[in-house]
Amino acid sequence: MRAFVTAVFAFLYLPIALVVLFSFNAGRHASEFTGFSMQWYGTALSNPFLVEALKNSLFIATTSALLAAVCGTAAALGLARVGVRTRAVFDALIGAAIVVPGVVIGISTLVALVQLFGVLNPLLASIWPDDQPPRLSLGYGSIIAAHGLFSMALVTMIVGTRLASLDRNLVEASSDLYATPLTTFRSIVLPQIMPAVVAGFLLAFTFSFDDFIVAFFVAGAQTTLPIYVFASIRRGVTPEINAIATIVLVASVLLVVLAQWQLRQRKPAN
Amino acid sequence: MSKSYRDGLPISPEKFVDQLMRLKRGSIGRRDFLGLTGLGIATAVMAREIGIMPTPAFAAENLGDRMSIATWPNYHDPQTFENFKKDTGVAVEVNVFGSNEEMLAKLQAGASGWSLFVPTNYTISTYKKLGIIDPLDMAKLPNFDGSQEDPRFTSEGTIDGTTYAVPKNWGTTGFAVNTKKLTKPMTSWKEFWDTAMTEGDGRTMVHDYQLTTIGNALKYYGYSFNSLKQDELAKAEELLLKVKPHLFAVSSDYQPGMRAGDAWMTMCWTNDGAQLHRDIPEIAYVLGKEGGEIWTDFYAIPKDAPNKPAGYALLNYLMNPEVAVKEHLANGAPSTDARVNKLLPKEVLDNPILYPAADLLTPLEFGAAATLTDPGRAELMARFKSA
Amino acid sequence: MKRKTGGPMSAGLGAVFMRGNRFRHNFLTALLLAPATAWLVVFLVLPFIAIAVFSVGERAPEGGYQAAFTLAQYANLPARATAFWNTMMLAPVGALACLLVAYPVAYYLALKAPQRWRLILLALVVIPFWTSLLMRTYAWMYILGGRGIPALLAFIGIEDVRLINTPGAVLLGIVYGYLPLMILPIYVSLERLDRRLLEASADLGATPLSTFLGVTLKLSLPGVMTGFSLVMILLLGEYLIPTLLGGGKVFFIGNALVDLFLQSRNWPFGSAIAITLVAVSVVVLIAANRISTRVSGTRRVDLI
Repeated sequence: MRAFVTAVFAFLYLPIALVVLFSFNAGRHASEFTGFSMQWYGTALSNPFLVEALKNSLFIATTSALLAAVCGTAAALGLARVGVRTRAVFDALIGAAIVVPGVVIGISTLVALVQLFGVLNPLLASIWPDDQPPRLSLGYGSIIAAHGLFSMALVTMIVGTRLASLDRNLVEASSDLYATPLTTFRSIVLPQIMPAVVAGFLLAFTFSFDDFIVAFFVAGAQTTLPIYVFASIRRGVTPEINAIATIVLVASVLLVVLAQWQLRQRKPAN
Repeated sequence: MSKSYRDGLPISPEKFVDQLMRLKRGSIGRRDFLGLTGLGIATAVMAREIGIMPTPAFAAENLGDRMSIATWPNYHDPQTFENFKKDTGVAVEVNVFGSNEEMLAKLQAGASGWSLFVPTNYTISTYKKLGIIDPLDMAKLPNFDGSQEDPRFTSEGTIDGTTYAVPKNWGTTGFAVNTKKLTKPMTSWKEFWDTAMTEGDGRTMVHDYQLTTIGNALKYYGYSFNSLKQDELAKAEELLLKVKPHLFAVSSDYQPGMRAGDAWMTMCWTNDGAQLHRDIPEIAYVLGKEGGEIWTDFYAIPKDAPNKPAGYALLNYLMNPEVAVKEHLANGAPSTDARVNKLLPKEVLDNPILYPAADLLTPLEFGAAATLTDPGRAELMARFKSA
Repeated sequence: MKRKTGGPMSAGLGAVFMRGNRFRHNFLTALLLAPATAWLVVFLVLPFIAIAVFSVGERAPEGGYQAAFTLAQYANLPARATAFWNTMMLAPVGALACLLVAYPVAYYLALKAPQRWRLILLALVVIPFWTSLLMRTYAWMYILGGRGIPALLAFIGIEDVRLINTPGAVLLGIVYGYLPLMILPIYVSLERLDRRLLEASADLGATPLSTFLGVTLKLSLPGVMTGFSLVMILLLGEYLIPTLLGGGKVFFIGNALVDLFLQSRNWPFGSAIAITLVAVSVVVLIAANRISTRVSGTRRVDLI
């Protein structure tokens, strides 16, 4: 069994090792290793399109995950206060947002927004004071919204599960002790659901950062890192893509190690 | 976010509707209305806040610092764009496509983000009809000299006297064969398709492009490359479906597969044929004796190009014969520009891949505009791919 | 607001207070639900209505959409039968292959791995998620392509092996891409397993195999079903892996869908396929839920 598990880990890491290895390739193509060089890290970081794609991805992932965490948590709290029927409708919608394949979300959002903009843009033009009215188009807004849809549903579900297992006696005790609802929320409810909110945020961030298919349809002229990588695969990958992938990998591993270390530091104090 | 936008609105929805109705009745000027309500500013702020407003157009002489171009796989000398950046400060992002349909789809959906793209001859009339491309402002292209262009290849860029696109290069569509793996000499599309199902089983590629894949299947039966006749297309589909299980891939980027030795034979454009043969001499380029496609690729500027000044600047740069000659040496396709041909070395001008013999050239057909939008061919190709 | 319960209060005043309280309660509830509702309506319901409307329309002459009312798009669905069939075959097979690889790993992590290694090993399962799936799949394109494994095989005398652009390559890509998603829920359900049950089973003379079949496997079924349906659902809409490792030859319904929008520009037909895909996904999920409830007697395991 150990041999099998070792083999599976090797399987998981072989492609990653290759990605990292080729980031040090001296040659121009990712298909032939010709020698060791760090030059592609410099090239990658001075390529305005690659850097912009990375920045866009970070911005979009952070914004959509934050919005999803806030709106999703609010929705989960709200759902705990409504009747069975409202809840059923909401649950169905949340479930749909999670189950509907990304490719369908991307396409249907594209179709709907193109139609919507087709109506709104002439309207905007007709009420605009000069000859250069703003044109609504696909971009950051549509990617954030489309990513956030799935993420928000995810957060609502995760936080909702957590709320269901929340100790209601504590809440009642708190209000019996004349705590305001806000105080009760801050001191009793929030600490208990916080891990779920954070988990939801992280999942949302990861999803948005790595998503290709939804962004592919609704990105308009904007590029995200996955879209840039996909375009590079068609164009012929140069090792600068490997360099960026390696930087992202190292950064995220560092973050995790840091988080773990923080947790361990804090534990003895508790 | 929805909260902040509501805060920014200096007018309630009810009042807004009220004002709108008054505006409709004509009792108030549009300018007054917007001044009165501050709605114009609010909308602008709102749009920027939400991030759905594109960056404002650049002033005429400001080239900005970046632009993107949509073109074909392995089609440019990367050095060209690096030099352009050195000269102008504008970085160029290259997006690669596999078919004209794909470019059209992206442009139809809006906001392609390209400031220059490379459509093929037969698509330009449709782009013009759909209002997707701008007429070119020739004053911004002093490097282009129409009198030096070969009219056989360049006429489709000009419609009713207005120039919508200027030529990049022309070429043919044949097939490339790795003659070490497939030793039997081939000269026709019939042999191409038959070999794909026999010796070339699992090693043959066709384009992800309805015009050439369907067109060359039509050639198997000797029909027109551009045929829209139902019965002829049905025969072509029958052949394509029969070949499908034997193919290595359906893709317009076949150089990696051919170079790695995964693919032994592929439908191929002149430029790729020349590049492959130059680097790997055993890869030969063959024109089917039944005919097939002859084409010209053009440069055009989309109507919604985000950086038109840079688009023009790059286009003008590419029209400089000194630059174009390097492009042609890297790309391998024959030029339409007599000035460029004067600068090309003799061995290039004698290369039979670029300049096929007259008897091979005569039966070739230019793509017909109707094939681009014909629903029958589009659906046939989609069925073939999903089969 | 201080809420007094059972305090001395006149009936009239109490009613007013209650009404105000209920209003405040409802207002706060509405406020909490408003952003999510707006989001769901604008970016889920509205798009769904849009493609439902499109799916009964016609393709415009130059491609795109043109208003009409026809069921022709739905009637044309059999033209994509192969893509549907491929998806319906490769999705469960892929999920099953994923499961076969994932189960022993999850089992080892949860029950056999030394305590201090467990977290590290678990992190190692998750880390691949932080390298772009595209990049990792691209790496597989290289490994399976002519310069990768086939070149190694040629070196030892086995010539002309072709691995890339085959259903096998796509299956490998699927297992690779979704393995962590399968390992995690199984791990969670196995980790919660009461070890005393295993000991009891052994004490009662059960062989390790019958303990595994009778106790471990049975109790980990919720995790298995969660992982299985998760991977299935994602596979039903898969686009990237067949595109990159299947060379446009192994076509999933997701590929057919993208193709209709990005090549043949038949938005109405694409919309009809999208609607059908959603319907299929819902049916599959409901079926998976039913089966898991029947088999394991419990609901699926929550990941968090």
